[in-house]
Amino acid sequence: MTSRTRYFVIVSLLILTIGLGTGLIAYYFGLPLGAAQSATDDLKLVPHDVSLVAYADVRAVMVSQVRQRILEMLPAQGNGAQDFESQTGIKIDSDVDRVVGCLAPSAKGSGQPLAGMVLVRGRFDEAKIDALMRAHGAREEDYNGKRLLVGDVQVGQTGSASLSLAFVESGLVAAGTTELVRAAIDLTHGGANVTGNEEVMNFVRTFDGTDAWTVGRFDMLTASAPLPAGATSQLPLITWISASGRVDSGIAGTFRADTRDAESASSLRDLLRGIIAFARLQTGSHPELQPMLDSLQLGGTSTSVTLAFDVSPQMFDQLATAFKGLQRRPLTPR
Amino acid sequence: MSPRGRPLSFTRSAARILELSLGQMLWSRRSIFLAVVTGGPVVLSAAIHAIVRWTPAGMPLVNGSRMTGAGVYGMMIWLLYVRFIVPVLGVFYGTSLVADEVDDKTITYLFTRPIRRSAVVVGKYLAYLVCTVLLILPSVVIVYFVIVPLGAGPGIGANFPSLVIDLGMLALGLAAYGAVFALVGARLRRPLVAGLVFAFGWEPGVLIFPGYVNRLSVAYYLQGLVPHAMPDDSAVSAILQLFSEVPPVSVSLSALVSITLVTLWLAGRSVEAREYVLEQ
Repeated sequence: MTSRTRYFVIVSLLILTIGLGTGLIAYYFGLPLGAAQSATDDLKLVPHDVSLVAYADVRAVMVSQVRQRILEMLPAQGNGAQDFESQTGIKIDSDVDRVVGCLAPSAKGSGQPLAGMVLVRGRFDEAKIDALMRAHGAREEDYNGKRLLVGDVQVGQTGSASLSLAFVESGLVAAGTTELVRAAIDLTHGGANVTGNEEVMNFVRTFDGTDAWTVGRFDMLTASAPLPAGATSQLPLITWISASGRVDSGIAGTFRADTRDAESASSLRDLLRGIIAFARLQTGSHPELQPMLDSLQLGGTSTSVTLAFDVSPQMFDQLATAFKGLQRRPLTPR
Repeated sequence: MSPRGRPLSFTRSAARILELSLGQMLWSRRSIFLAVVTGGPVVLSAAIHAIVRWTPAGMPLVNGSRMTGAGVYGMMIWLLYVRFIVPVLGVFYGTSLVADEVDDKTITYLFTRPIRRSAVVVGKYLAYLVCTVLLILPSVVIVYFVIVPLGAGPGIGANFPSLVIDLGMLALGLAAYGAVFALVGARLRRPLVAGLVFAFGWEPGVLIFPGYVNRLSVAYYLQGLVPHAMPDDSAVSAILQLFSEVPPVSVSLSALVSITLVTLWLAGRSVEAREYVLEQ
């Protein structure tokens, strides 16, 4: 072998080794993580065996052009945001940075199928929130060195649920079902959290660059949901569902469903194609909705189905025009 | 000959031919074609990267949907590497393994050596495989790191498993196509024409037909290993998806390995049995 050939072999193997090594490190240590990096800190307070976990970069959504356009499209909705600010001291536009939410199976005997919790990171007036909770009948408890505000709320005709709010650390509020809030407080001292759940984290790593995402176990969610008898047997064998989106001048997002086998994925893909085709037929009289339908892109692998969409700024203009047209049309009695 | 005067074993013979042929194959006139084929996707990916970085709109919209870097990478693997580069390299290099030696009238020198003729074929085939693998796979890695970080969507870490699968799948595709066209080169007078007809006529055409005909192609089994969903944005892809079934990964793997070994063995047998009459 000549030296020229030897150098070629060495350089090629070097490129392969460095590339595969870098990829392996990025895979295991999540480099780069982007939006998912900031969520990871709060995910450490989410229990390991949750059915669903979600994240939203509230700050990014609030400052986005999309939100400005939606506010221009929709008529004034009253003083809800101002009332909320006056009652809690929380200005959603500027005080809330990000939110992580989760759903988990309830403890036995709780009377509810699912327990939920949100972890809100931002800047809060603790005294004002404390006063609001006490005014609504909450009592203070101490749990593992943290102050818990616990209240009982009625659910349905005869049920009740215990809800809690805790200031887990400066700038981080945990609110939701008492058992999950207590679990979050326990996890501040370490323990098995959702970042150790490889199935969930494999999805979270794919959400890099998005402003909001959610991933959940479809079978566990439908087992807890009050669906009609036989409904779950009619659905394809979906195991995981996820959604992610990016908000800037437009909205781009992806829905994904993982199935148990390739046949189920193929059936689901056929079902979605049919729905999209039906939608195209129905929008014949609404041409402003056509670009949105055209943006739908179906894809996936052998056992997963993805549906991507992209609402561009131009589509918002068309929707705004159509919406204003609907508002101006007078209501005529039949 | 070994130092003790005994003929070399089959493995050592093939290794010697591999060592000899690797340099010849890398630095031959065909290397320009090889450089264009392997460098083309890298240049294209660099151009895409530069355009996306400098364009305020970012990634292009396809049917109103903004593409992700992983999506563009998947399309390049499918359309450039699987559909074109791998078959082309198999045709041009596989068919010429023995044919070039015959055309240059140097095959006599190889066959007068105390090594089996099939070892010459296997050694040259291994040289082709090493040469193409060491060129194509680094090219894919470079394209991956240039394209995947673009736009929104999963980053290089999340897509790493698909890179590993792509590298394995392309290596297996190069091996299978190379062995098939080595057999074509060993058996036929005009192997290049036959190879091109097979690679760009039979292979894509047979996938459209329903039934079991599509099993008589390498592409049928190779598509079972492609982790990226076939682009669902054209009439041709829609027709292909309608008629073609994707075999399970285990079937694809075993079929490709079997095709490689069987066709290579047949090529060796063919060279052993054939009498080469060189034109004066």
